[in-house]
Amino acid sequence: MKKIIVEGLKYKYPLSDTLALDDLSFQVNEGEFIGIIGKNSAGKSTLCQALVGLVPHFYKGAYGGKVIVDGLEVKSHSIADIALKVGMVFQNPFTQVTGSKMTVYEEIAFGLENIGLPRSEIIERTDYVLDMLKIEQVKDHNPFDLSGGQMQRMAIASIIAMKPDILVLDEPTSQLDPAGSEEVFSAIQNLSKQGITVILAEHKMEKVAQYCDRVLLLNDGKMVDLDSPEKVFSQKDLEEHGVRAPVFTRVCKALDVKKAASDDHPVTLEDAEKALRGRML
Amino acid sequence: MKLLKSISLYVDRKSFIHDIDPITKLLYILFALLVPIILPSFTISFFCLGISILLLCAAKVIRKTVPVYSFVFLVLITVVIIQGLFKPENETVLFQIGPVAMYKEGLLYALTITLRVMNIVSSFLILVLTTKPSDLVETLVRKGMSPRIGYVIVSVFQIIPEMMSSMGTIMDAQRARGMETEGNLFVRVKAFVPLLGPVILGSLINTKERAMALEVRGFNSRAPKTYLYEEKKYTHSRLIQSAMLVLVVGAVAWRIFV
Amino acid sequence: MKKQSMWSLRLSTAALVLIPVAVGVNYIGKLIAASLKLPLWLDSIGTVLAAMLGGPVVGALAGAINNIIYGFTDPISFVYAITSVAIGLAVGILFFKGYISSWGKAIVAGLIIGLIATVVSTPINIGFWGGTTGNVWGDSLFAFILAKTDSTWLASLLDELVVDVPDKLLVVLISFGIFKGLPRNVVQLYNNNEKIETLD
Repeated sequence: MKKIIVEGLKYKYPLSDTLALDDLSFQVNEGEFIGIIGKNSAGKSTLCQALVGLVPHFYKGAYGGKVIVDGLEVKSHSIADIALKVGMVFQNPFTQVTGSKMTVYEEIAFGLENIGLPRSEIIERTDYVLDMLKIEQVKDHNPFDLSGGQMQRMAIASIIAMKPDILVLDEPTSQLDPAGSEEVFSAIQNLSKQGITVILAEHKMEKVAQYCDRVLLLNDGKMVDLDSPEKVFSQKDLEEHGVRAPVFTRVCKALDVKKAASDDHPVTLEDAEKALRGRML
Repeated sequence: MKLLKSISLYVDRKSFIHDIDPITKLLYILFALLVPIILPSFTISFFCLGISILLLCAAKVIRKTVPVYSFVFLVLITVVIIQGLFKPENETVLFQIGPVAMYKEGLLYALTITLRVMNIVSSFLILVLTTKPSDLVETLVRKGMSPRIGYVIVSVFQIIPEMMSSMGTIMDAQRARGMETEGNLFVRVKAFVPLLGPVILGSLINTKERAMALEVRGFNSRAPKTYLYEEKKYTHSRLIQSAMLVLVVGAVAWRIFV
Repeated sequence: MKKQSMWSLRLSTAALVLIPVAVGVNYIGKLIAASLKLPLWLDSIGTVLAAMLGGPVVGALAGAINNIIYGFTDPISFVYAITSVAIGLAVGILFFKGYISSWGKAIVAGLIIGLIATVVSTPINIGFWGGTTGNVWGDSLFAFILAKTDSTWLASLLDELVVDVPDKLLVVLISFGIFKGLPRNVVQLYNNNEKIETLD
């Protein structure tokens, strides 16, 4: 089943002369894990926000084409309705704190109270995500007293607790150390394996290569490519679009090492190791 | 400059006053305001004030009232002096200090004002010192106040300390760059603008992201809101509220018939 | 373009989130005025800014909530919520009618706001304090006028006027200066009336 359908999506922010999103069309299957890459201001965040309806409902501006998420047309539904199907985690964990709750536990429950879940369900889900994101030990702390990384986990937990079918993440691990990022990514991968569709805007290319089923490359609001990580990162003109391939791919490119039985360079450490060992033999 | 960590005066203690319903405490303010208006006499005013102070003692928060009362007294001293000296109705000299005469009429008027202010402030302090702002707001939202407005009120208590701390950071930076906060008025005003700019701009830019984050968490959902915590059971609300009503009605009757 | 829905009661989330920031800005202004020992309050910059950005309804709400919150630290300010609401309303109306669009107009608007604040506060001062305001300069004038004229109303009005008019003038000018310095896309955010244009 097609979980996300984007057709001819165009968008221009108010007061802006240029299109932030320029004629995008693509489809995403249920349970897929899609990475969005591109240089700064290529349109990654705007595209993420178009999937939850912040574009156009929050910003207004000029909008064309169609986005359908889980059967809902974004243009004709409110953000509150779309939020029941699509969850979004933003880059800056600090501004995602509501500021109206005194503890992490209450903060996570905020969204669940808003959508009117019964009390027992709120508690069950909050306990579940606290455990999943490993922030149980700070559940009684003031949200503003957390470290950047803990805040980021809390932001992700707050959205996951709302049990969206589609999870959109805009650079969700910018404040986390490598070990913390790894933990968060594997938690997201688990959700993906449970059938949740994940859209991730990210500049850590190694992570994109490791976790994503397909990669969408944006440049100046246009879609350059949407394909497997190997295909996208093996492109010759990648750097012209402002993106550097994962370090493993770059090494293999320099050595002209390709994945067995394919024309593409390896993109993960594992594959690179396999390919390089293969060549040494 | 003193940068506040918390702007609420709430004191977390165990007392039967703390366990009274916030709505009842709100009604008590109205009660303490109305009764002296219905029955304007010093005895009644002293009586109401006495009750409030007893309640503050019972709530074990009387020490926390000192800063508030001292601030109020500072203003009241001006009232006493000015009214005692200059009230137009002043006739009877009560005492004389050198060439300055204090009049009885003015001083009595100042006493009326003092009692009125003290009454209102004390009844307010009962609410403020013994009620967590978020509990008050949650009670009001359950009674039908817009949850959006409720959010705004509660979030002020968290967002102000956050803005204070970002201002502290900026002030330190400005001082390191040699900002003058001493000197004549012009110098001081000039110091004011570069301080405000970055904090205000930063906070306004943050509102955009915060608003978006709220939107995706169902802030504008039309589903009836539910609550993480069970509604607090407050004891004796009915009883206390009825008693206050009876007393107000009694006061009105006294005023009319006696 | 903004006029028809100046009174819209359906506030956008961005406009609502603006209110706590406005209260914070008021508070910062008050702290700075106190620490620089200015003879003014400067505690309504946020309310004025909120009214400029979000219109009279947001301005009035920011004013009311401001004083309700202050009421939690200083119960007396609760009573003056009416003045804050009046300031928010007046600035919102003046601004959205285009009467605060240049420095010259901002001066006139500042004086008008000062007068409005005075007229609203004076009865509260008389009812609550017998006419004084707690400001040293204003209260000295109050004593002087009362001694000369026997009119509590006149004395109280002038007491409030000498502090409120310069204060609100400065507040409106500071707020206008800040407003002019804001990036356009921030200003645009609180404007609830724009329609989504179509590119189809």
